Amino acid sequence: MNRKLVSLLFVFLMVFLSFGVITAQDEMEKPLVGFWESCPTPSNLPATVTIGAIFGLSDAVAVYGVPQRQAVELAVDEINESGYLGESVFEVKFEDSAGNRDQAIFAMTKLVEEDKVLAVLGPTLSSEAFAADPIAQENSTPVMGVSNTALGLTGMGDFVFRNSLPEAAVIPGTIAQAKETLGLEKVGLLYGNDDDFTVSGYQVFRQALLDNEIEILGEETFAKGDLDFNAQLTNLISQGPDALVVSALAAEATQIILQARALDYNGPIIGGNGFNSPAVLRDTGEASEGLIVGGAWNYGNPNPTESSVRFVEMYEAKFDQSPDQFAAQSYTGAWLMATAIRCADFAADADLSAQRLAIRDALLQIRDFDSPLGVFSFTEDREPSHDPIAQIVSGGKFEPLAVVMGEGG
Amino acid sequence: MDLLRSIGITEIVFQLMLVNAILGLSIYLTLYTGMFSLANAGFMAIGAYVGVVLTQNYDLPLWAALIGGMLAAGVVAVPIGLPVLRLRDIYLAIATIGFGEVVRILILNFDTLASSISGESVQLTRGALGITGIPKITETWQLLLFLVVTVYILVRLHRSRFGRAMAAVRQDEQAAATMGINVVYVKNAVFIFSAILAASAGVLKAHLTRTISPGDYGFDQVVNILAFAVLGGTSTWLGPIVGGFVLTALPEILREFKQYRGIVNGVILLMVIVYLPGGLVNINGWKRLWRRIRGQPSVTGKIQDAETG
Repeated sequence: MNRKLVSLLFVFLMVFLSFGVITAQDEMEKPLVGFWESCPTPSNLPATVTIGAIFGLSDAVAVYGVPQRQAVELAVDEINESGYLGESVFEVKFEDSAGNRDQAIFAMTKLVEEDKVLAVLGPTLSSEAFAADPIAQENSTPVMGVSNTALGLTGMGDFVFRNSLPEAAVIPGTIAQAKETLGLEKVGLLYGNDDDFTVSGYQVFRQALLDNEIEILGEETFAKGDLDFNAQLTNLISQGPDALVVSALAAEATQIILQARALDYNGPIIGGNGFNSPAVLRDTGEASEGLIVGGAWNYGNPNPTESSVRFVEMYEAKFDQSPDQFAAQSYTGAWLMATAIRCADFAADADLSAQRLAIRDALLQIRDFDSPLGVFSFTEDREPSHDPIAQIVSGGKFEPLAVVMGEGG
Repeated sequence: MDLLRSIGITEIVFQLMLVNAILGLSIYLTLYTGMFSLANAGFMAIGAYVGVVLTQNYDLPLWAALIGGMLAAGVVAVPIGLPVLRLRDIYLAIATIGFGEVVRILILNFDTLASSISGESVQLTRGALGITGIPKITETWQLLLFLVVTVYILVRLHRSRFGRAMAAVRQDEQAAATMGINVVYVKNAVFIFSAILAASAGVLKAHLTRTISPGDYGFDQVVNILAFAVLGGTSTWLGPIVGGFVLTALPEILREFKQYRGIVNGVILLMVIVYLPGGLVNINGWKRLWRRIRGQPSVTGKIQDAETG
């Protein structure tokens, strides 16, 4: 009796599930990303095309690495379900680098020399990329950084790409727009001097301020892991700056915003990529009002592209959390690799180095690619080119800097 | 070789295993002499930076950079060792951690400091960004040769008068001093030797990983180096080598476990610490473990253990 009931329930469940699958398939539209028109559906590719991805999936760096892997998984599902590569199956082998340089080297060696993947996404950190990317270059394997922002990264060789805008591409625009809308004349500069990310951010900020003829009243530094910024902030604020310019990672950024507001500083705070995180906004609450952030992509972007909206919907539905900038860049990175493979359409029996070279050449050809990041192109130097966003926090949300300030005054 | 590769040990993994074995030996020396010194990462940093500046800015070959890095660390070790080695146990550990941090922060701010002193813009250590684009010129045979020579010197050292003095100092400093051993001399000489060994590992590793930055030589690195010696055991020179090998290779062998890699790795290390407290290379530990598994009383074992220390 009982067994019958169970089996009946089971049948019901199966029917219900299959309905779910069928309706889901019906709803599946053609992805909004991809060169569907400009490159024909490939017909020569091998049955499976495998690329590698090196992300920091364990240790502290997993904060960035796990969303990266999830976004790539999302892209892979979409690419395979929509038949973007024709009959071929697109496969990504993930390797963990734990934010550790040695492990990034090991992972890159394994993927490129042992697993013989066609191309590699990652690694997560710039410091890992400087150690691991030369291995890909030596083996003539395309490697695309999806979160590396350090200066000179693609200078390592003609197989090294990145789709993550370096600070140098984001910050000058942010500063120029801030000067235009806020009329900045003098600012205080605060940065972490023991981290490659914050130091390169500082260098770009400094250059951008000089280029825009904005006076730097003073420069203060802090170290990774510091919790108290009162001394530095008091020094800077006492000189009456029009804005505070800060190059910091998310953890320190949160404290800096809160402590500056506690010192009765109510002017704008201008931050780099490190501030471009949903967590900073959430943790600082009202104190973040007037925070100006430049970035490649933002969850709260008020003018997203269609594909960005679709990406956010799919990501939230699948993983029950909001994507960050790194997820958007990784998702785009996976699509870019798939696009290069689709356009290259190399023969299944071609040797490995020819296949890798074909992908490299196809990547170089990618121009005006509609993606969540906007209209994306690779420059001749294998650097990304798309419009960065400059935003200000207004009413607890990110708004375009120009619009808010235009209304205000 | 193919067998090793199939379980995840590629050439680069093997090369870093050798480097870490050298690092393990450097801390083994001080531990063997009864000094709980954690200055190794600092000396490694000195070696790495001096070595890289020599090969990159002065176009010297690797062997010259190796000698340069070792000399620099040896010279620095003298004024550090003389006052610091008067401390013991945990106090020595704290002082030497402090030394490591000073080295790291000096390298971090070296360019700013040098620029403000000389009045010109100096670009040598490049602060937090570190030095990138270092060519990979360290070869496996060089590492193997270096390790073999080091072990040979160590074995000779242990059998020498000085080696017995090292053991005596570890057992009891006062007693050793009464026996006519110059304790200050022994401790400082060992400290310098350990510094030189760490520096050589720094030079060799910098020319494997292609990039160095001050963050590589922080407290994390010291803990890693200490772990090589503790896991392998410090009763013989083989211990730190095995420890360095295992701790470097294990995460790579376990890559197939994907996200559970860290857990499996941790469980294996924990089992070693719990069941083989003397380290992997410790015959008494294995004997005791064997007896525990067989479930025999271990009276004789206890007596043996008490005798051997």
